[in-house]
Amino acid sequence: MGKKGSIFLTALFCLFLFGFGAALLLLPDRAFSQQENRYLAQWEPPTADSLVSGAFMRSFEDYVIDQFPLRDGWIHLKAWSERLLGKQENNGVYFGSDGQTLFAQYTPPDDLEQRVSYVNRLGENVDVPVYFALIPDKSYVWAERLPDNAPLVDDGSTLQSTQALCGEEVTWIDLSQALSGDDVFYRTDHHWTTLGAHQGYQALAAAMGAVQPQPDGQPTLVADDFYGTTWSSAGAAWVEPDEMYTWVPEGGLTGRTTVTRYPDGQPVEGAFYDLSKLELKDKYSMFLGGNQGLCVIENPDAQDGRLLVIRDSYADCLAPFLSMSYQQVHLFDLRYNRTSLRQYIQEQGIDQVLVLYSCSNFATDSNLALLGY
Amino acid sequence: MASPAVPPEPDGPFSRGGRPILPEVKPMVFSTPYFLFLYLPAVLLLYYLAPLRFRNLVLLVFNLLFYGWGEPVYILLMIFTIVLDYFAGLIVHRCKRQGNDKGARWAVGVSLALNLAILFFFKYWDLVAGTLQRIGIPMPVLHLTLPIGISFYTFQTMTYPVDIYRGDAELPKNLVNFGTFVTLFPQLIAGPIIKYKELADQMAYRIHSPEQFASGVQTFTIGLAKKVLLANSIGQLWDIYLATPGGQLTTLGAWLGILAFSLQLYFDFSGYSDMAVGMGRMMGFEFLANFNYPYLAKSATEFWRRWHISLGSWFREYLYIPLGGNRVKAPRLVFNLFVVWACTGIWHGASWNFLIWGLYYFLLIVFERFFFSKVLQKLPGWVGHLYGLLIVMVGWALFAVEDFSAMGLYLKAMFGLGAGWADGTFWYYLRNYLPILLIAAVAATPLAATLWRKLSLRSRQVAIPALVLAGLVLATAYLVDGTYNPFLYFRF
Repeated sequence: MGKKGSIFLTALFCLFLFGFGAALLLLPDRAFSQQENRYLAQWEPPTADSLVSGAFMRSFEDYVIDQFPLRDGWIHLKAWSERLLGKQENNGVYFGSDGQTLFAQYTPPDDLEQRVSYVNRLGENVDVPVYFALIPDKSYVWAERLPDNAPLVDDGSTLQSTQALCGEEVTWIDLSQALSGDDVFYRTDHHWTTLGAHQGYQALAAAMGAVQPQPDGQPTLVADDFYGTTWSSAGAAWVEPDEMYTWVPEGGLTGRTTVTRYPDGQPVEGAFYDLSKLELKDKYSMFLGGNQGLCVIENPDAQDGRLLVIRDSYADCLAPFLSMSYQQVHLFDLRYNRTSLRQYIQEQGIDQVLVLYSCSNFATDSNLALLGY
Repeated sequence: MASPAVPPEPDGPFSRGGRPILPEVKPMVFSTPYFLFLYLPAVLLLYYLAPLRFRNLVLLVFNLLFYGWGEPVYILLMIFTIVLDYFAGLIVHRCKRQGNDKGARWAVGVSLALNLAILFFFKYWDLVAGTLQRIGIPMPVLHLTLPIGISFYTFQTMTYPVDIYRGDAELPKNLVNFGTFVTLFPQLIAGPIIKYKELADQMAYRIHSPEQFASGVQTFTIGLAKKVLLANSIGQLWDIYLATPGGQLTTLGAWLGILAFSLQLYFDFSGYSDMAVGMGRMMGFEFLANFNYPYLAKSATEFWRRWHISLGSWFREYLYIPLGGNRVKAPRLVFNLFVVWACTGIWHGASWNFLIWGLYYFLLIVFERFFFSKVLQKLPGWVGHLYGLLIVMVGWALFAVEDFSAMGLYLKAMFGLGAGWADGTFWYYLRNYLPILLIAAVAATPLAATLWRKLSLRSRQVAIPALVLAGLVLATAYLVDGTYNPFLYFRF
């Protein structure tokens, strides 16, 4: 290289390093990443303690990575590069063979016996019938869209093993065949869709002996720009957004159904579908308004009694259907609610209990032990 | 057949077998955004703004910041080492000038002993104490954090009194120049190991030119790409096989895993060395190359002439030759080789498997020296290549799997006694990693360099900036989205 070329290369290199370095220092920091749906690390000024302990250095590293200029673009570039290299996964997400479906990798729990034993203890603790169902992972229902031989998937063994571990006081509801079709899961998110939840409702209601009124008409399209959490992890910019639907009319079939949310322990009036959440990245929180410790849906015109659902987020999309069958549906989230279940069931006059988790949440949730209290 | 491997925590590969995995300490690593976009620009800016006579001081300050980043208290240890060795060198020099050879030897000896004692205490105490505990001798295990790069810089500083004694180098001009040599950040934590005599003149006087800076940019970018684009990508494959329970390993899977480790370690380590050489050049230093296409080696002997050259050369000059080298009778030669390879092995980490790995090379090298190299010479070249790759990959299994029972299962699987030949998991990972493995395999040969030299000067002048920019952009993307970016040298 000649002198001119050397100066040019030196300038190019310095411009790249100094340019992004300066942009990092000068551009305002972002608090939240819409694309990744998470809060980003913030600048934490060093203190004598954090310098000596090294805590400052660790938080600084995260801060630089999170606030790096054009972060979203870099993430997409990497995902594209991995795809062009022939990879069928990125950041723990499989690229489906149709090019448009994303699968979060699924790891079966290694302590399944322990986990199911908590459900069994609940069954022994209470006098009302306890039903237990796991929602199969998307990778089980849509196995044909997975990359060939993909190792970290739900092969149905979690459901089988769980069923075998269920005690006498617990009635297992098998959902392994309940879900079918192209639109039962979001392609970009791990949750089931309104359609999927409706299929789940039919199987659950049948097993629990509830009548099954049908919602009027067809599902209503309310959003066509939903990018779910799996899409966020994958950085897969080439995948189209999902559509979102509502189905059960607000107020239920007779217009007399009420939703009471307890986001902070205090009752607040809620709705089946909180359309204002569609403005956010986390559009799935449209269903019942997102995570909360307790939510009670009352339908005076329903035929069956009081159902308690030990829930994860999949239940939010299902609850409007359940409320067509039950006079009261109580959605109880162990992550945010420390009330004794046994006591709650007695006080509220609950008739039936449904423990309903997705396989992946059941495999990872750390609050299951509360089932037995 | 085999159940899926659980994706491991992001950490280095040297962690199997119940040892502390993710250290609390995070050293400053070249392949992080804050190093590339804040630290390095700041160093370069202040270095070039400073007048010539203050440049070593600027470097020293930044070196200490770099060193103390992960574990600030060890800056004190570093300063102690610098001062100790600096004055040891002065005493050696004075004794020699006064014709007091015995005194000079004593000073060298004391300095080496203190350095080795510090290295032993921080790096090997727990290994020895833990082993003694197991056979019933009570010794406290201290769980000290290993000062980062201690094996590299201790070896580096130990050359100083020896080189002064041998008359191979001048005394440093002052404490700052010496401290800068000891702590020089480009090669402080992962080599290459530079002898004092190689750098003594450069500490006092360096040329800075755009040509040299630009050459450094190229070498640095190649190193960065090796580390971030090749080693990190392929390392994930190794971590999957490392985490697979031994009983579920298939034969082809075990080989795929160890192939991934071989490529990861080479590109990680040589990438670090390239980045060191590149950053050195940006500031006027010239370091010797540390790797020379090691996987082309046709024997264990040749492998070690091509792999981590600065370490091999250190052991040759400061241990093997002082022991008498190869100008001795056969039994003594075998003994010399044994000592050198035992030390080389255990240098790589405070765990017995590294000793075994070193002795494995001792056996191979003795075998080659007294018998097999004559046979190899008569065989066609590809047999040598096959032999070389085979022994090196088996060696990496000894190196990478620390726990002995897991190591046994891994080796069994490699030699056909695992859970069958292949399973769906193997085919999935082969399908996914084949392109990057092929790229890496080609990059481990001189093919690209050969083709590059065939390009016309003109096309090279266009290609260089384009390739450098592409390398920087892609590496940045992989770093910003980098959940997997291990630092492999915690054990050194």
